[in-house]
Amino acid sequence: MNRFGRLAVMAAMACAIAGPAFAQGTIKIGVEVPTTGAEATYGRDMANAVVLAQDEINKAGGVLGKKLTMVIGDDACDPQQAVNAASKLVSQHVLAVVGGYCSGATLPTLKIYGDAHVPFVITASNSTKLIPANPGNAFMINSTGDQQATKAVAFLAGKGAKTLAIVNEGDAYSQDLANLTRADWTKAGHKVVAYETASSGQQDYSAIVTAIRAAKPDAVFWTAYYADGALLIRQLRQAGYRGIIAVGDGSNSTKLFAIAGAAAEGVFCFTNPTAQFLPAAKAFIKAYKARFGSNPGPYAPLTYDGMKLVAWAMTKAGSTASAKVIAALKTADGVQWLTGPIRFTKHNTLARSNFIVLEDRNNAWVRADK
Amino acid sequence: MASDARVLARLAGPLAGFLSRGIGRWIALALLFAAMAAAPFVLGEYATVILTNALLYVVLALGLNVVVGYAGLLDLGYAAFFAVGAYTVGILTLRAGMNFWLTLPAAVAVAAVAGVVVGGPTLRLRSDYLAIVTLGFGEIVRITARNLPITGMASGLSGIRQPWLFGWHIATPRDFYYVFCVLATAAAIVSARLSDSRLGRAWLYVRYDEDAAEAMGIDRVRVKLAAYVTGAIIGAIGGAFFAVNLGAISPPSFSFSQSVSILMAVILGGMGKIPGVILGAMIVVLGPELLRSLGEFRLLVFAIGLLLIMLFRPSGLWPGRSHAK
Amino acid sequence: MSLTSILLHQALNGLVLGSFYALVALGYTMIFGVIKLLNFAHGDLYMAGGFVALLVLSAISGIVGAGWPGIFLAMLLAMIAVGCLGVVIERIAYHPMLGAPRLSILITALAVSLVLENTVLALTNGQYAAFQTSLGFGGVAIGGLFITYSEMVLVGMAALLMVTLELFVTRTQYGRAMRAVAVDTDMCALLGINVPTVIGVTFFIGSALAAAAGTMAGAYYGSLWYFMGFLIGLKAFTAAVIGGIGSIPGAMLGGLVLGMLESFGTQIPGIGSQWKDVFSFVVLILVLVFKPTGLLGRSEQERM
Repeated sequence: MNRFGRLAVMAAMACAIAGPAFAQGTIKIGVEVPTTGAEATYGRDMANAVVLAQDEINKAGGVLGKKLTMVIGDDACDPQQAVNAASKLVSQHVLAVVGGYCSGATLPTLKIYGDAHVPFVITASNSTKLIPANPGNAFMINSTGDQQATKAVAFLAGKGAKTLAIVNEGDAYSQDLANLTRADWTKAGHKVVAYETASSGQQDYSAIVTAIRAAKPDAVFWTAYYADGALLIRQLRQAGYRGIIAVGDGSNSTKLFAIAGAAAEGVFCFTNPTAQFLPAAKAFIKAYKARFGSNPGPYAPLTYDGMKLVAWAMTKAGSTASAKVIAALKTADGVQWLTGPIRFTKHNTLARSNFIVLEDRNNAWVRADK
Repeated sequence: MASDARVLARLAGPLAGFLSRGIGRWIALALLFAAMAAAPFVLGEYATVILTNALLYVVLALGLNVVVGYAGLLDLGYAAFFAVGAYTVGILTLRAGMNFWLTLPAAVAVAAVAGVVVGGPTLRLRSDYLAIVTLGFGEIVRITARNLPITGMASGLSGIRQPWLFGWHIATPRDFYYVFCVLATAAAIVSARLSDSRLGRAWLYVRYDEDAAEAMGIDRVRVKLAAYVTGAIIGAIGGAFFAVNLGAISPPSFSFSQSVSILMAVILGGMGKIPGVILGAMIVVLGPELLRSLGEFRLLVFAIGLLLIMLFRPSGLWPGRSHAK
Repeated sequence: MSLTSILLHQALNGLVLGSFYALVALGYTMIFGVIKLLNFAHGDLYMAGGFVALLVLSAISGIVGAGWPGIFLAMLLAMIAVGCLGVVIERIAYHPMLGAPRLSILITALAVSLVLENTVLALTNGQYAAFQTSLGFGGVAIGGLFITYSEMVLVGMAALLMVTLELFVTRTQYGRAMRAVAVDTDMCALLGINVPTVIGVTFFIGSALAAAAGTMAGAYYGSLWYFMGFLIGLKAFTAAVIGGIGSIPGAMLGGLVLGMLESFGTQIPGIGSQWKDVFSFVVLILVLVFKPTGLLGRSEQERM
C-alpha cells in the first residue's frame, strides 16, 4: 500500500472513531453487556468481540457503504440498570443492539427495544423466559436453556446415571435450567432425588452436601455460575462424594479450577462452543489475543457472530430500517458463521442445539462428547 | 465529593432562604413545575427515563423519610414494602386479571398489614435491634419471592400490562414520567402535612426523648407504628407503579442494596427535610449515571460521601436543621 | 447414609459453621459491650481479614509453603492488620459520634461497612479471588463419620482463640477494665480507667478475631469475595443475640446454637436449603421479640 492509501485508511479509521460527528455516514450499533459488577469479565469480553467484528467489517468497506460504530450500554447484570442502559441506547438512535448476558437483566429490556423497533440480537442470555416476552424484534443466537437441559439429560443418562441431584443458585438463569432439567430427567423415566437452591455468595454448602450425600444420586448437576459452583464441587468431594458432577454453561470458566483445584478433576461442563473448540475460530483467537492480550472468553465467538449477523442482515435488507432488518434476520440461513450455521425457529431462537460437553482433565477443558 | 458538597450547600443557602419566603416560594414552585412539565420535551427520552427513575426514588425516599427522618427508626429493609406493592400488583393483574387501579388499594392494604405484623412486635425493641430485624425482614421477603411459584420465582413476573386512565393509555416513558411527577408531588404534600400534624409533632417528641414523650401521654409504640405503616404504604404505592412501568419485576430489584440506596437518598440530602430528601433522591439516581465512567469506583464514591456526611454534616446537604421550626 | 450418620454429619457441619459464627459474634458482642454500638462493619472486617491473609500468603508461600504453617502466619498478620484497621475505624468514625443520637451512629456504622465493601469491590473488580492452599482433603473416619484434618484444625483453632479470649477477659487488668466499662462507662472514667484505651483494645481484639475467622474461612472454603461479610455479619449478630448480646460466653454458645440450628433446620422436610437464610432470620426475630436478653444475657431496662 502506498503512502496515500495508508493515509486514506487512517482517515477512514479516524472517521470511524469520530463516529457521532459523521452520524449520517455511520451505522450505530448498541452493545448491551455488563461492564461493571460480578459478571463484568464476561461483559468486557463480549464487548471486545464486538470491537473485533466491527473493525473487520469496516476494513472490508462497512455496511451499505457506511462504517459501523458501537456504543456500550452497561446493564451491570441488574434489571433496573439494564432498563436505564437500554433507554440510553435507544435515545442514542442505535439501529440494532447486540449482547445480553444475564437473562434476568435482558428480560425487562425486551419491551424497550420492542417499543423502539430496534432489532436485538441476544448473544448469550438463554433463559426460556425470554421467549414469551419477545415482542418479535429479538433473536437468540445462543441455544436456549431447554436445549441445554436436553443435552445434559442425554449425556448423563448415557453415562449410566439413574438418579440426579440438581442444585441452582436462585437466579433467573440457573433456576430456569434446573427446572427444565428436572422436567426432562423425570420424563426420561429417571429420578431427581434432590433439588436444592443455594444463595449467591454463600460460602458454606454443608447442608446441601449432606442432603445430596443422603440422597446418594449417581450425578450432581450444578446449573449456576462458576464462583459458587467451585465451592460446591470442592465441598462435595471433600465430603467424599464420588459420583458424576456436571455444571452448566455459566460455570464454563477456568476460574472454576483456580478455586476448586483438584476437586474439579473429571467435572463435566455443558456449554456453547467456546473459541478453542471451534475449528473456524483459529484466526479469531489469534486476532483477539493480538488485540486484547488474552484468550477470548466463552461468549466472545457468539457475540462476534452477533455483530456480523446484524451487518449481514442490513446488507441483505439493503437498508437499516428496522422492519426490513428484522425480516432479513428471520431469513438467516445457509451462512457458515464462526459458531456454526444460524437459522431461527418461529420463536426467533436458534434452530439447532450448539451445546457440547467438556471435561476437566488436569485443570483444562477437553471435549468429552466426541 | 466533600468540597462539591460544601459548594452546593453554600449555593443552596440563600436559595433556600429565598424559597422559604412568601412570594419567592410561589414563584419558585411555579418555575419548578414548569421545568418538570417541559423536561421530557427538552431533554429527550433517555433523560426522561432517568428522571422517572429519580422521581420513583423521590417517592420511596419520602416514604422512608417518615420512618427514619420523622420517627427516627432505622429501617434497613424498606425495599420489602416496595416489593410488596410491586408483587401485589403483578400477581393480581397477571394471575387474577384484575384492573391495575383496583389492585392499588390491595397493594396498600397488604403493605399496611405487613407493616403492622412486622412493626407491632419489633417496634418495642431498641433501635439497633429494629435495624437488624428490618434487614432480616427485607431478606425474608426477597428470598420468599425467589422461592414461590406465585411470584414467578427467580425470573419474577413479566408481561405486566400498562394501565389505562380515562382513555389515556399510560405506556410511553413520557407518560410514566408525568405519572411519577404526580406521585412525587403527592408524596411531598402528604409528607409536609404529616410533619405539621399532631402525629408529626408526636414523632418529633418521640425522636428526641422517648421517655419524656411517654410521660406526656404519648403511646410511643403506637406512634412509631403509625410512622412505620405510613412508610410501608408509600413504599408499596411506589412499588405498584414501578411494576407497571417496567412491566417485569424480579427479586434482584428488592435486594438489601436497594434498601441502602433509598436510605442514602434520605440521609445525603438531609433526613426530615422534604427538599433535602428530594435532593438526596436526585443525587442517588443521577450520580451513578453521571459517574458511569468511574465504573466500579462509583459506589465507593457514594459510600465515602455518606460517611463524610455523617461525620461532618449529619443534617445533610440541604441547608438548615431538620425540623427547623 | 443412615439417619444416624446424617445427624452426625450435620452435627459436625454445625460445629464448623458455629465456630465461624462464634468468632465473628464475639467481636460484635465485645464492641457492643463497651460502646453500645452495633458495628455493622464487623462482617466486613471478616472479609478484610480473608483478603489480607490471602495477600500475605501469596507473598510468603514461596518460603514457607501454602500449608498450615503458612496459613497460621498469614492469619496472625491479618489479625494484627485488621485489628489495627478496627482501631482506626473506631477512632475516625465512631469516636466523634459517641455523643450523637443512636440513629446517626448506626448510619455511620453502615457507611463504614459500605466503604469497606466498595473499596474491596473496586480493588478486585467484584471478582471472586481463589484462596489457594496446599491443604488436601485427608482426614479420619470415626464410625460412620469422616472428619477432615482441616475441620479438626479449624475447630481447634477457634476453641483455642476463645479460651485465650476468656483468659484475657477474666485474668488480666485490661480484661477486667473491659468488663467494667461495659457495665458503667462514666463510673470507670471517674475511677481513673482510661476508657478510650479500653475501647481501642476491645476493637483491636474483636476485629482480630473476625480476621482470624475470615482467614480460616478463606483457607477452608477456597475463595474470597467482597460481599462475603454481609451474610456472616447478619448470622453472627443473630448468634450474639441468641447468646445474649454483651455476653462473651453467650456469643460462643450462640454461635454453636445457630450453626446447629441451621444444619439441622435445613434437614426438616419442607424447609430445605432454599429457606436456610429465612430460617435463621425467623429465629433471630423470634428471639428478639420473645427473649431479647438471649440465653445468657443480663436483662436490661434501657430501651431506645
